[in-house]
Amino acid sequence: MSATTASTTLWVRRPAGLPAAGWLRTVDHKEIGVLYMGMGLFFLVFGSVEAAIIRLQLAVPENRLVDPQLYDQLFTIHGVTMIFLVAIPILVGFMNYLIPLMIGARDVAFPRLNALSFWLSLLGGLLVYFSFVAGGGPDAGWFAYPPLSDRTYSTGTGLDYYVLGLAVNGAGTIVGAINIAVTVLLLRCPGLSISRLPLFVWMSLVTSLLILVAYPALSAALVMLFADRRLGAHFFDATAGGDPIIWQHVFWFFGHPEVYIVILPAFGMVSEVIPVFSRKPIFGYRFIAGSSVAIGFLSVSVWAHHMFAVGLPDAENLFFSAASMLIAVPTGIKVLAWTATMVGGRLRFTTAMLFAVGFIATFVMGGLTGVSLAIVPIDWYVTDSYYVVAHMHYVLFGGVVFGIFAGLYYWFPKMTGRLLSERLGKWHFWLVFVGFHLTFLPQHWLGIAGMPRRVFTYAADTGWGPLNLLSTLGAVVMGAGILAFVCNLVVSLRAGELAGDDPWDAWTLEWSTSSPPIPENFLQVPVATSKRPLWDRKHPDRAHEA
Amino acid sequence: MTSYVAPRPGAPTPGAAPLEDPPVAPALSRPPLLGMALFIASESIFFLAIVVAFIALRPAGLAVAKVELDLPRTLIFSLCLFASSGTMTIAERRRRRDGWIWLLVTAGLGAVFLIGQGLEYARLLGTGISPRAGMFGTTFFTLTGLHGLHVLVGLTAISGLVLAARARPGGVRATAWESVAWYWHFVDGVWVVVFSVVYLGTVLG
Amino acid sequence: MRTSAEAIGGLALVVGAIAFLIFIGVEAALLYSAWRYRASRVAGPAPQIHGNTRLEIAWTAIPLVVLAVVFVLMVGTMREIGATASANGPAAMRIVARGHQWWWEFRYPDASGEIVTANELHIPSNTAVDLELVAADVVHSFWVPELGGKTDMIPGKTNHLRLYADHAGVYRGQCAEFCGIEHAWMRISVVAESAGDFQRWLAGQAAARAAPGGTAAEGERVFLQNVCASCHAVRGTDAKAVAGPDLTHLASRRTLAAGVLPNDTASLRAWLFDPQRYKPGSLMPRVPLSDADLDALVSYLGSLR
Repeated sequence: MSATTASTTLWVRRPAGLPAAGWLRTVDHKEIGVLYMGMGLFFLVFGSVEAAIIRLQLAVPENRLVDPQLYDQLFTIHGVTMIFLVAIPILVGFMNYLIPLMIGARDVAFPRLNALSFWLSLLGGLLVYFSFVAGGGPDAGWFAYPPLSDRTYSTGTGLDYYVLGLAVNGAGTIVGAINIAVTVLLLRCPGLSISRLPLFVWMSLVTSLLILVAYPALSAALVMLFADRRLGAHFFDATAGGDPIIWQHVFWFFGHPEVYIVILPAFGMVSEVIPVFSRKPIFGYRFIAGSSVAIGFLSVSVWAHHMFAVGLPDAENLFFSAASMLIAVPTGIKVLAWTATMVGGRLRFTTAMLFAVGFIATFVMGGLTGVSLAIVPIDWYVTDSYYVVAHMHYVLFGGVVFGIFAGLYYWFPKMTGRLLSERLGKWHFWLVFVGFHLTFLPQHWLGIAGMPRRVFTYAADTGWGPLNLLSTLGAVVMGAGILAFVCNLVVSLRAGELAGDDPWDAWTLEWSTSSPPIPENFLQVPVATSKRPLWDRKHPDRAHEA
Repeated sequence: MTSYVAPRPGAPTPGAAPLEDPPVAPALSRPPLLGMALFIASESIFFLAIVVAFIALRPAGLAVAKVELDLPRTLIFSLCLFASSGTMTIAERRRRRDGWIWLLVTAGLGAVFLIGQGLEYARLLGTGISPRAGMFGTTFFTLTGLHGLHVLVGLTAISGLVLAARARPGGVRATAWESVAWYWHFVDGVWVVVFSVVYLGTVLG
Repeated sequence: MRTSAEAIGGLALVVGAIAFLIFIGVEAALLYSAWRYRASRVAGPAPQIHGNTRLEIAWTAIPLVVLAVVFVLMVGTMREIGATASANGPAAMRIVARGHQWWWEFRYPDASGEIVTANELHIPSNTAVDLELVAADVVHSFWVPELGGKTDMIPGKTNHLRLYADHAGVYRGQCAEFCGIEHAWMRISVVAESAGDFQRWLAGQAAARAAPGGTAAEGERVFLQNVCASCHAVRGTDAKAVAGPDLTHLASRRTLAAGVLPNDTASLRAWLFDPQRYKPGSLMPRVPLSDADLDALVSYLGSLR
């Protein structure tokens, strides 16, 4: 089968004559992966515009660009969008696309369920956004604390769409996670034992199991909130014997694992990119794999570090503080392992590698501020302030998004048969990297200086103006970088350099098939002889170094 | 390439070396069953969260609960549900023969349970106990209602299985029977927990 | 003995130093590797090293030890804060702070007479104050950075925050838990003053309002006959509602509407004319008044010292 026929579509070569409506009916994991990534990029536009307006409003004190009613909807929907409708779909898209290829399978375990999970995810997102044309969007923040989110203080339907949309979206994610877990556990090709799994697949497995633990808690919280809002219940109504703190516990039981759900696949992507562009195997595979499992377990025992200011007993606070500090250890192991992979290597700084290294540099900072937040008395100072906003963006953008960019530049050739432009890629990287730090580094100081989160403006006499302005300027630079990325996507899809099967001289199974892969992925079921099957094939005399 | 048909996952590609098939596959190495097991695990977390909320909010509604809950009657309907797990197991064993009849019995017992729940709801609503009315109403209806919905889904799955079993001469695959059975046992198990926490817990609380 | 703010500051300094060292170390290793091992500087293929178990155990164990040290320091600091709290004795005074959308209610139950004020909290300096935190509607959070960390106000729960100002002055803060549309303008002023000044202030607050004369008396009529009295109380009149801030001594406060405007005649007039202009979404409606009525009202409220 020739690998380079003039083809109709870019992602999967399909027989000529299938209508575009095939996208609606597809059950192929590669096409579903592309659908997911498309969904993520689509909502990224919205999330970015929301962020831009927020930063413009905050650029100067007592600004009147937007009124607080709109602002509150903006920051709420920005959070919901970026987490549920951008990060998760893009990462699930990668997992869907890559996992069968990396484990030598033909598709995921349940292809039709896979399609269902995508359409549910999309439907959920559309439901949330529908609120804006149905009377107003949700405006109680992405974690919607009652009583503010309850029926007395949030009249209107915005939060009902929030509940419904996230429930449907969450159902899609749960179904998707079952698919990924079963695929990884049962559909591996001969020779691919668990200890030979590519790290991206390892992390995806842990992620999918985490989803199965965390998302049901979100569903439970949403059910109770809906019951309060529309069935007259009193779960969170203190005047009737209910307790708003129950929401916080149940939500954060979901909410904290959620951030590990988004960072673990990014860890996985970086773990694939760095070895290839260092020309060395990953350093410390077993510790990295083991640390992911540790992170999985620990991440469900730290949730109340979001609640240190609630007034829980000291013993509880100390437990959650200890667990939260502990989780820094497996994360630190990874950072050191990635760096050690580079030591003694032969580094090629493609855009993918730039983002991977930029990821490490940035994520370390976010991780350190995270440890500071795990310290209870320090948290009492800076929680609910811009210090937390800074921390979360360092790990979510500097971590998840940089990781996604690294993965995109790395695997785009496999998915489309074309390389992304390295020239535009460098612009993309440096604008985003510099812009990101300009935007979020000053916010640490703003938090320490007393600026709370979720304020639509601030008084001139606070002195917070200059740092806010700097932050906004950084956002402009970041925006330019994102535009460079979009340009790169469009240009390279049309006219990017042809990539061939294995443009990076890599070692995992997906690079042994065509770019894009044939519908069945492989002409023959591959056999995995080590963690780096293609290394073995390329260096038959050096198999002991695999 | 020939026509684009989604093949069975894990199946060998045409012309390729066939995958080795293990002689007797343990349950969890069959994708539909592992999938069902993971689904059940996630639903367990869902119910756990609601149960924990129920327990945390129990004191506020305990007095009403003690007066209003009808343990003996609910126990009778519960026994029907527990029995239905037994009939489901029988149905599974007899899937190649007349298992479908036992599926109908199972569904029937499940329906009796739901009707019992419905009667209980009607009685409580008649005395003014609703989610609106206070903490007992809030927590009781939510927890038992969610369980009831899961029973309903189970009844739908059983009906689908009956229809498929009757329609196909060759019978339905074992994994389909087993996964429906696992789900049904799970729903039963949840009721053991809910009944204990809500009814026994109230009596003893 | 250090104040709790000093104790936490000390801990933050130590933690910050450790974090900074780690930051420098990791970034330096990263940048050095990126520079030293770039392909142009490396001859030949890279050695295919898979790991070094001893090193990996070391870099698992060392962070564990560092974190354990930090944890112990943290527990020590928390004990010290608790110790400071009891060393300063049981709090010399108790104040109840209730969070509302979007203003603060402060009551002084220990003082003689009924003292209720809003948005401006007076405390004696160099005295431990126990602030009892409750919420009237949604979750709020009381945060005055210079005086310490924050603690949430949660409906159905009573929290406590110990305040200790080691010198007189005005300390600013604001609500730190998103509580709705005017969360950004729920500012706090804590005025710490000498014992004598504080007692004088307290005595002034305990008195009912001074009987108004002239235009101000006319203003009181306007106040009582319009919707004002359905939300606001002025002790000494029939206005006893508690939905909005107590206005008995409004003129003694430095700002209006929880810090949105300074408390001067022009601002007060503008606020009364259209509160929604300055705090859109606040629960105070726009009440159309004639110019004469408005002037009288301003004069009246300005007399409530």
